Amino acid sequence: MSGESSVVDRYRARLDRALNAFSERAMGFGDRYGWHLIGVSALVGAALPVVGLQEGFYMSLVSEMFLFAVLALSWDLIGGQTGYPSFGQMAFFGIGAYTTAILFKDFSGVFPSAVAGDPLLLLLATLIAAGLLATVAAGLIGMVVLRLRGGYFAIATLGILLAIQQVTRNLEITGGASGKILFEGPTGTQFYYLFLGLLVAEVVVVYYLSNTRFGYVLNAIRDDEEKAVAMGVNTAYYKTAAWMIAALFTGLVGGTWSLFNTFVNPMTAYNGAWNVELIAMALLGGSGTVLGPVLGGFGLHFAVVQIDALFSGWQLVVLGSVVIATVILFPQGIVGAIEERASAMEYYRHGGQAAEESSDGTDQPVADGGTDDTTGGANE
Amino acid sequence: MAIAQFVVNGLLVGALFAAVAVGFALIWGVVDIINLAHGEMVMLGGYVSYWVLTFLLGEATASPLVALASVLVSVAVLFGVGYALQRALVSRVTDEDLFLTLLVTFGLSIVIQQLALQAWSADPRTVTVQFGQQSMNLGGVVVPKMKLLAFVGAIVLTALLYVFLKNSRTGRSIRAVSQNAEAAALVGVDVEHTRATTFGLSSGIAGGAGAFIAMILNVQPQMGLIYTLKSFVIVVFGGIGSVPGALVGGLLLGTVEELTAGIVSSKWTLAVSFSLLIVLLVVKPSGLFGDSVEGEA
Repeated sequence: MSGESSVVDRYRARLDRALNAFSERAMGFGDRYGWHLIGVSALVGAALPVVGLQEGFYMSLVSEMFLFAVLALSWDLIGGQTGYPSFGQMAFFGIGAYTTAILFKDFSGVFPSAVAGDPLLLLLATLIAAGLLATVAAGLIGMVVLRLRGGYFAIATLGILLAIQQVTRNLEITGGASGKILFEGPTGTQFYYLFLGLLVAEVVVVYYLSNTRFGYVLNAIRDDEEKAVAMGVNTAYYKTAAWMIAALFTGLVGGTWSLFNTFVNPMTAYNGAWNVELIAMALLGGSGTVLGPVLGGFGLHFAVVQIDALFSGWQLVVLGSVVIATVILFPQGIVGAIEERASAMEYYRHGGQAAEESSDGTDQPVADGGTDDTTGGANE
Repeated sequence: MAIAQFVVNGLLVGALFAAVAVGFALIWGVVDIINLAHGEMVMLGGYVSYWVLTFLLGEATASPLVALASVLVSVAVLFGVGYALQRALVSRVTDEDLFLTLLVTFGLSIVIQQLALQAWSADPRTVTVQFGQQSMNLGGVVVPKMKLLAFVGAIVLTALLYVFLKNSRTGRSIRAVSQNAEAAALVGVDVEHTRATTFGLSSGIAGGAGAFIAMILNVQPQMGLIYTLKSFVIVVFGGIGSVPGALVGGLLLGTVEELTAGIVSSKWTLAVSFSLLIVLLVVKPSGLFGDSVEGEA
């Protein structure tokens, strides 16, 4: 890094500062107008079918992008915000998917005939059961696994996913390994609005929580659980609550998906590939943030569909490589990196080390005195 | 008598589980990596043996001695794979948060598995080993000779690793790095090289076990995850970094699985072993042979 490339260094420093300034503006804008942004985005999403998004491939694609954004955001609430990286999030997806599938197909008689006659109303009614069951299951599982930490937690959740998958395969009521075929669900547009509604609801909940004591406690647990306990926080309560909220939305989106997909079996409902995808999405977008997992879900799912169309069968190779590269090259993800730059800018203004001299000036201040939530969940 | 047969079957398979788990325990104990791609090393080991025999003999059928030689090739190749993986990728996140190593190895497992699927298709493949008589009868208990050979082979691999770690110079530096990497570096141990060697040994023994698994069961690209999880169950049971613990744990897990398969149904083995894992984790997270896990967070 010595003298010979000083011109390059100077330009790099200038670029760094431009990026920092931009990031700070962006973050400041996001902080000030967060609710407005959510509202406008929701309206834009709701307007798309009105202004010409036809039922078919593209509407399904956008619906799936909403679905994955919900999955990534759910994972991130417990994995990124709370520091409990689950490798078994798809367990709750499968529970939700099977609950609606079984109720919709085999038990529609228990609902009032007005509800049972209308696919959309029937789906909504079964979704209540799906969300409830996923949340209760999460409560029970959480009581056990949330006592574990780090690698123990990660593998225990992976084991639970596989165990639930095998139980599903062995039971009669689930249709065993061949699963269930589901026709006569709602229309594509109705599904579009269901997925959009779920995503907006979850963004609202998570964004609201991240600015409350609840969200701060989750981040405190991630940063240092012992310290949080020492300060008198009942961490078990907060962890379990976050875990159950994540499972609620995962179960709801799973329940919607099984009818959307018109087919559910143990391989697809507890999809191992999606289990990787949703983690990759949260990481790539920036875990520990609200916007990051949503953007990651949109972007990566779009990319995966394109890759699948071009090189069928290779999308998981790409996905695995993306996970490895993301972790090694920039573990904070895109939004995390922007946040870090923004706080670096703030640091200079408050008289931190000047950036002119060192080319790695952007890293230095953050490591020393950046605000606490800039490092993102992946680093804790 | 049926019970005795199940127990014998379980012990025979359990030794292979143990050999796989010993590798898993080694890399966890020394480098503090939970290698989620460990099962893929088992899978690759099985394929190495299969392809070496296929290329040399035209088909994957061999006499016991030739088959054993192919196991050694698997060990050697997987040692190289493990060494290279640690040097090129995993070392970049080794001293970081455990979660990052989990993710990198998880990504690796997906990539290896999917590449294997593309290269070799999803068909299960078997290495056939020819004996004059395929099995023998010991007091009413049927013992397939191949399973006995695999059992002995797995025990020998495990014992060799144990002796190597205890007595060789490399083994001593591995133990030194596992105790305190910084202090080991101060007395002249090349920490990066030692860690990569450990990863190589861990993958090598998994590869050897994989070659035996190709002979008694089969190999296919997606078999890895199950072995990773089984290793985890065994290591949690036996204690991190403990070779004897992993051996006992492996034999026990094999027995439990065979008993479940024999008495209940083979459909429930996985659910039983994972439920066992969860119970174990909650009741005794330090393992039966481990010291403690207070540093684990």
